Formats: sequence, C-alpha cells, structure tokens
Amino acid sequence: MSAAGIAPFDEERLESISMIRDSARGLLGADLARVRALRFTEPGFDPAKLAEMGQAGWIGLAVPEQAGGAGLGMGEAVALAEELGRALAPEPVIPLMLSAHLLAAAGEETVLPLVLAGEAVALTAWQDRANTLEPAASADGARRFVPMGAGASHFLWPVREGGRVALHLLVRDMTEVTNETTQDGGHLSTVRPEPFVGHGPGSHIADDIGEALAEGLDRAALLTAAALLGGMEAAFAMTLDYLRTRQQFGRVIGSFQALQHKAADAKMQVALTRAAVEQAAAALDAGATGDAARALVSRAKARASEAGMLVQQACLQLHGGIGYTDQYDVGLYLRRAMVLAPAFGGAALHRRRFHALTPETEDA
Amino acid sequence: MNAITPREPLDLDAMPDEAFRLHIRAWIEENYPPELRNPPKRLHWEENKVWYLKLAEKGWLCPGWPREYGGLGLSPAKQIIFTEELERWGCARCNDHGIIMLGPLVIRYGTEEQKQRFLPKILTGEHIWCQGYSEPNSGSDLASLRTEAVDMGDHYLVNGQKIWTTLAQDANWIFLLVRTDKTAKKQEGISFLLADMTSPGITVRPIVNLEMHDEFCEVFLDNVKVPKENLVGQLNKGWDMAKALLSFERIYLGSPRQSAYALARLRQLAEKMGVADDPLFAERYARHRADLEDLKALYARYVAVLKQGRPLGADVSQLKVIQSELFQRITETALEVAGENAALFGPMEGNRHLNPGALYIQARPTSIYGGTNEIQRNILAKNVLELP
Repeated sequence: MSAAGIAPFDEERLESISMIRDSARGLLGADLARVRALRFTEPGFDPAKLAEMGQAGWIGLAVPEQAGGAGLGMGEAVALAEELGRALAPEPVIPLMLSAHLLAAAGEETVLPLVLAGEAVALTAWQDRANTLEPAASADGARRFVPMGAGASHFLWPVREGGRVALHLLVRDMTEVTNETTQDGGHLSTVRPEPFVGHGPGSHIADDIGEALAEGLDRAALLTAAALLGGMEAAFAMTLDYLRTRQQFGRVIGSFQALQHKAADAKMQVALTRAAVEQAAAALDAGATGDAARALVSRAKARASEAGMLVQQACLQLHGGIGYTDQYDVGLYLRRAMVLAPAFGGAALHRRRFHALTPETEDA
Repeated sequence: MNAITPREPLDLDAMPDEAFRLHIRAWIEENYPPELRNPPKRLHWEENKVWYLKLAEKGWLCPGWPREYGGLGLSPAKQIIFTEELERWGCARCNDHGIIMLGPLVIRYGTEEQKQRFLPKILTGEHIWCQGYSEPNSGSDLASLRTEAVDMGDHYLVNGQKIWTTLAQDANWIFLLVRTDKTAKKQEGISFLLADMTSPGITVRPIVNLEMHDEFCEVFLDNVKVPKENLVGQLNKGWDMAKALLSFERIYLGSPRQSAYALARLRQLAEKMGVADDPLFAERYARHRADLEDLKALYARYVAVLKQGRPLGADVSQLKVIQSELFQRITETALEVAGENAALFGPMEGNRHLNPGALYIQARPTSIYGGTNEIQRNILAKNVLELP
C-alpha cells in the first residue's frame, strides 16, 4: 500500500528505517499459524523467539550504545513496532523496551544485559488502576494490567514518593502473579509483592527515575500506537483483497459504492495515524522534550487508539459473516486492537493530555 | 384432521391485556431457571432444554400457533406482550427455529400429513430444527444459492453446502432452500425441503466465532436422499414462502432489548469505574438513553402495525439498522470507560454483568447477520425511498 505523502525523515534515516523493517519482516514471517498456536496458552509467547528478537537488537533498539543498546532513534523503533503489530507478535517487546529504558537510566548492569538479550523478561509493573498514566504511589499494593506477566522473570516496581519515583527490582519468586486472559489470547497480570520490610519490595535500584519513567511510558505509548498502525494496515490490506475478489449479485463487492466509501474512510484513518505517529517519532529524534514532546505522543496515541478500533470495525463489517469467524485472520487484528488501544493510555486520556499540554494560539 | 389437544386449557387470548401480562409474568418469574437469566451467549440445547420443556409442558411453547395445532392462538398483540415479558426477565432464546420459522410455514403451506407429522414433535422437543439458507457464496445475495435438489423419481438427491446455520449441531431436522430449477430466474427455481439430519451424507461442522462460541455451523450435503413428501408448498415456490417469514426476523432484530441490556451494563460499568458523574460520560450516556427511548418509540409504531394484524412494509429495515448501530455505539462507549479492562476476555472480577470486551464483540455481527446494514440501507433507498 502506498504511504500518504513523504515521511518526515531524511534519506539516511529512511534507509536505516527500511533496514529495520526488512529485518523485522524476516524474523517475524508472514504466517500467523505461530501466533494462533500461542493464543490462550501460558506464557502466551515463545521465549526462544524472544531471545532471537533480543539478539537482533530489538529490545535495546533505542537504548544508548554505552548501555549495551543499538542507540537508534524512535524513527526506527516505531517501524519495528509497526512490524510487530502487523505480525501480531505476542512477545512483549514494547513492554521490555520500556524496562530496558528504565534499567539503563538507573545504571543497572546485571539484569539489563539479559533483558536486552531477550533472556530475562523483566516487566514494568507501574500502574495500580485503569485509565492512568501516573505510576502507582503504594509500594505494597497490587499492580495491574502487566502484559504477559505469566512469562516474567522479574518485575520492575516504580514507587511514587512525593515528587520522586524510586525503582525496585523484584525477582518473580517475590511476587504473586494472577493472569486474566485477554481478547487476543494473551493475558494481563495482576502482581502482588510478598510482604517486605523497609521502603519497598525487592532490591532498591534507583532513588528517582521519575523523568525516565515518564519518558519511557511516552515512548511505549508511541510504540503501541505504531503497533496499532501495523495491525490496521495488515487488516486493511486483507480487506481490500477481499473486496476485490468476493462476488455477490454477479459483481465483486468492491464495486459497490457503499463499500468503497467505507474503505475510503478507513484509508483516511490509516493515513492520519501514520502522519501522527511518524511526526511524533521524528520530533522526538530531533530532540523535542517536555510538554511539546508529550503532546505529540498523546496526539499520536489518541489517534491510533481510536482509528485502530474504527478501522478494525470497518474491516470486520466489510468481510461480512466470514470476518466474525475465529478461523479467519481479520478478527485477530480486531482482538489485538482491543488490547493495544487502552494500553499506555486510551484515546480519551491522551486527547485530554494533548489538549492540556498545548496552548492554543490566537490565530489557530 | 385430528386436532392436537392444547395443553393450556385457558383461552389466554380472551384475557384483558394487563391481566394477561401479569399472568405470564408471574409464571415466568416462578418457573424460569434463575441461572439462565441473561446468558452471555446463545445457549445450546443441552443448556436450554430445561426451559424449552417447561414451556412445552405448560403448553406455552408456541404462542403464535393456532390452538388446534397445539399453540396458544394468541393475537399479534398478545404475542408481543408474551415476547416483552420473556425479554423483560432476560429469558434465553431456545432452539426455536421449529417454533418461529418451520412451524408457522408448515401451518401455512404444508399438507395435512406434514402438519400431523411435524408439528407435534416440535411441541414435545423431539424435533429440533435448524435453518439451511445461506451458503458460502450466497450471503447477502441469498437468491443465488446453489445447493441443488435433483428429482430422482421417488426422492430428491441433494448436494451442496450451507453456512451460518445456527445451532445445527443441536438439531435433528433441517429446513433447506434448494435449487430445483437451474434454468429459471434465480428466485424462481428455489424450493423448500425438509431433511432428517441423520440422513447419510449430512455433515455438520461447527464454526467458532469471535466470542469463541460455536453458535453457527457449516452443513455439508453430499448425495443426501430426501423423500418427495418432504417438499413443503409448491415446487419452485420456496423463495416466496421463506421471504414471507423474514419480516418476523427484521422486527425481532429491531427489538430494543439488546441496546437496553447494553445500556444497563454500561451504567453498572460506569459506577464501577467511578465515572458515572463525570460530565463527559454523563453527556454520552444521556445521548444513548435518548437514542434508546427514540428507538423504543419507533419500535412501538411497528408493533402497533403487527397488533392490527397488518403486514410490515419494507421500511421495517430501518429498525434493524438503528437498533444494531445503537447497540454497537453503547458497547464502544463501554470499551472507553473500561480502559485496560476492555482487553479482558472474561468478566471483570468474576461479575458477569461487567464484561465490556465480550459485549463489544457480541455487538459486532448485529450489523451483519439478518441482512447486513448495507443491504438494509439499499432496501430503504430503493424500495422505500424509490431512488433510481
């Protein structure tokens, strides 16, 4: 499918991004049989595949080279996330990218290399409720909505204390993990720490990673937006194929104007999502920080979360009954979108944050 | 003919409406299995037969059938009250294709022999029917169906494939639309045939849908012998007979019950998530409520048509579009309110009333089944608005 207009990256970046895409497609493959086989199982992903992804440098893609990462930018990272979304990879790569970012910021040197290699699954258990971007304040309360926690080896445990956010590291054995199945056949975990003495559970590894966490959550939100974009494009491509081949009333159904308009509407949502996601990635790579950076991320995630659902709904509708069967792949994308749309903040939350962070100018 | 003795000795149709409603309500509340109220999925025969058989025992299984065939002989107005009371209590839908589709069709078009042979067995639950209409290449364009019945002298030989056959795995009989004349215009070469599901050559394959539920099936028919006496009505007149029954489907699918149920769940969810008093939510909720009340008002106008015993026009299509899209919007609001909980496959905290993801998934096919909303809009544009 042709992209809309020209992406906001220079030629050199475009080449680097294109290499990442090719590498990702090679490792992920186009066959969804692997994804189907892992659904509704535990841990719900393939640890060997995750190690391959780690060895390919994906988890440390945006981690600085001095910390063991590849030192690439968000332009490359969103391209990778898009491919993960397109392939419906169940491996928790984006959550691990967040953890690698935090461990690097904390100067941690033991677990980080294992995380980067895809050998340790250290997941960040940062939230204690739905619909929030704020890290939890209670050290000992349950942490919710940790993606794919059944396969975790460690948990990163931020604790908001006054204006600072301390970081603790817990090995899996120090927690109690319960898993709730998600629509896509993965799961979200609730993690409770075992009773502890002192300021927090596990080992205290940083006094204040507040800024790194805010930045990491923003990046994770943007990457999740990109994963939604990849899923939209894959489902939409399948749908266009269907519109071009399925016949009813003696014609291909794509010749009916009602369906053409629905497809055109979906196409516009995909174009808006790509524009917003790549604009945010390019701005972060160009050094945007603070409110300006956050507003761009929020706009991109708000768009991707909303458009992701709209486009997947349209794809399902355009397929008719066959789309509602579990054996047909288009539904897999809708179900993944239901998981990704609210992750790291849903559309409403990010729209509000975008609006709050961007002063409107008189002539706007 | 030998009339079937009605089990219900009272002529319920003669009761005043309100007394009738309370009479029905009291019995439902006393007899309906509480664990089956508002089931999240369409129930299989093994699950709903306790209710089917209770209704059968009481003689209330077929409210719309004439009393001489074992029904309650209710007027359309009373039938609507009956349905409203079932919906009010959240009663599960039974395996009802024999009750609402095949029975009325046999009563209207069948021979005496067919009435005697089939109707009593629906009333006892001995025959569970399913509907073989759609085919893989004939969905929206149903009249293009290709499952073929060839006249072999003493029987028909049927070959083809049906799809979206609701609860076929529970059924022991199937009513089929089959092509009996390949040379005629597509609507004019279709006949209505009844087949025993245990006949050699019939294979059922359940289809798992996005709810991970096997509500629908594929039915394969491979050299299936169907006796000649299983043809209902005239040869090649099956399309008109089947179509006559579809207006029931359109008003059934236009019933506000799904939207009303979803709105009640949204209210509970909003309280749980602490947003019930949030002005943004309140505005959206108010809009859904008003939409629902408007839908109810429109629905009531069609019900009034039925109560007078008059046929519904093509414009009833709008009811199905409005209902399904409202149901979908309400579930979309619920997803937003639920945040990360929207991703869950099962209910939140084990409370089956708090399952926004599943309700959202359930709402998706309502704009597809029973004639897609695109087809319904075509009907409105062409048959109602008479646009060129």
